Amino acid sequence: MHVGLEHYLTVSFLLFALGLLGVILRRNLIVMYMSLELMLNAANLALVSFSRFNNKLDGQVLVFFIITVAAAEVAVGLALIVALYRKRQSAHVEDLTSMKL
Amino acid sequence: MNASLMTLELCVLALGVVLLLADFWMPAERKKYLAYAAIAALAGLLLISFSGQGVCSLGGSAFHGAFANDALAVFFKRFFLLAAILVLFIAAEFSGRIAAGISEFYSLIVFALAGMLFAASANDFAMLFVSIELITITFYVLVSFQRGKLQSLEAGVKYLILGALSSAFMVFGIALIWGTTGELNFTKLAAVAPQFVGSQIFLLGVLLVLVGLGFKIAAFPFQIWAPDVYQGAPTPTTAFLAIGSKAAGFVLLLRVLFTAVPSVMHTPAFTNLLIIISGITILYGNLCALPQRNLKRLLGYSSIAHAGYLLLGVAALSANGQAAVLYYLAGYLFTVLAAFAVIAIVLQNVENEDISGLAGLNQRSPLLAATMTLAMVSLAGIPPLAGFFGKFLLLKAVLEQGATYHGYYCLAFTALVGVVISLYYYFNVVRALYWSKEPADLSPIELSSPAKFFIWVCIAGIFWLGIYPSTVLDPALAVAKSLGL
Repeated sequence: MHVGLEHYLTVSFLLFALGLLGVILRRNLIVMYMSLELMLNAANLALVSFSRFNNKLDGQVLVFFIITVAAAEVAVGLALIVALYRKRQSAHVEDLTSMKL
Repeated sequence: MNASLMTLELCVLALGVVLLLADFWMPAERKKYLAYAAIAALAGLLLISFSGQGVCSLGGSAFHGAFANDALAVFFKRFFLLAAILVLFIAAEFSGRIAAGISEFYSLIVFALAGMLFAASANDFAMLFVSIELITITFYVLVSFQRGKLQSLEAGVKYLILGALSSAFMVFGIALIWGTTGELNFTKLAAVAPQFVGSQIFLLGVLLVLVGLGFKIAAFPFQIWAPDVYQGAPTPTTAFLAIGSKAAGFVLLLRVLFTAVPSVMHTPAFTNLLIIISGITILYGNLCALPQRNLKRLLGYSSIAHAGYLLLGVAALSANGQAAVLYYLAGYLFTVLAAFAVIAIVLQNVENEDISGLAGLNQRSPLLAATMTLAMVSLAGIPPLAGFFGKFLLLKAVLEQGATYHGYYCLAFTALVGVVISLYYYFNVVRALYWSKEPADLSPIELSSPAKFFIWVCIAGIFWLGIYPSTVLDPALAVAKSLGL
């Protein structure tokens, strides 16, 4: 079987949808954060496969930017979640209730 | 390629690094004065950019068109510099409540400013993504800066999850746009976009990018984060979110809509989408603000409503509409920063920043009470202040388009309903200032001289924009025309 652009894009859409489902359905902050990374990597996969099949390199360069930004985001994000865990002894979204109407 | 176009941004980045390094040598009790050094440096840059000559106001583009220094960029760069200067004043007043790392707080504000300056010049999707992430990631830290306070951490985590979600949407949108058209540059994309208007994948990509920008400006249905984050974040951060981050969203929105995909924008479905989002955002923000007792949360909902008003001008898709957006942002800058400065100074010792904490302010400090009244009256849109004239211009731009499409009349009516609803909660705040029962604390409030200066600048700005609108409106019209409208 020949693997073409549409196969890569299907995988990428599936990964994106799985990540989105994870963010919506899971209640642990760390797992939600992992799902967010999955969504970013779905976009990376789409960019790289477009790049490969259109013979243009811009997409691969953009992927480097995205990976770098994602690393910065994870560094800040995990620090924040750990700080919250220390304060609250919980990493569940149901416990984020100190601000209500 | 002309890298000297970026001089302004590089100067601001260097200032951020210098502030971080100064932390090593500055004695702890003098660190709060670093804000004034940063203000002086930024004011110098602002003056140089206004002088019309020198490296900070060169026109042109660099990096194969990814970085454009056109009229729109220059207008917003001055706007962001002014916003950061005023926010640093609030931060200096607030410094007593930041337990550790006040110089990091200042330098993060400066780094966020650098992100906004890059955003103002972004003419390429890679540039758009990186600059918007520079702003957002800096704000994750700024929002949760009061680590000892649970609300601040919670606000930070909420902003983190929803911010990362919106940037994931945006990156996927960029991937789809690039995959279908093969262009990342806005100007080149505009040339090829008309052939792709029928392509579902391309339209999905544009829509996903707009989701990311809608999150930044807090438009419905991406506004969920705003009230909680506004309430939990330290007051200077909230002020910078309300003005800087929102304006960065708008400059990128204008850029994407009018430079990159003008062919998509003029389709009827898309016009309808903008009209509906604008109308719902106005109603949602104003209705939810009604029962609020926490002043920062109230201003959070009010900022959602103001994003809706600003979208009125964008939805009009005319030069007058975009000029009105720029004018309205300028008026909003002085108004909302004046309000947050009063909150930062008065509600120092009040738990939960409740409106009742303002009771008796007219006896404690008549100047602050007058400032808060002016800010609320201008946000509500009463003549002759900046807020009134801005709303008038936005509505006029929408009504002008009504002849071509009747949906615009419905939108103008919705906006008027929103303004009437908003009168109630803004005057609730004014009532707390002057006519509240038995104020608990009547000790006079001493204002530091920088704070007095700041307050007078904001008051002057609110009146000046309302009485002489043409000083900002004429350049704003020139900017709107340069967008090709």
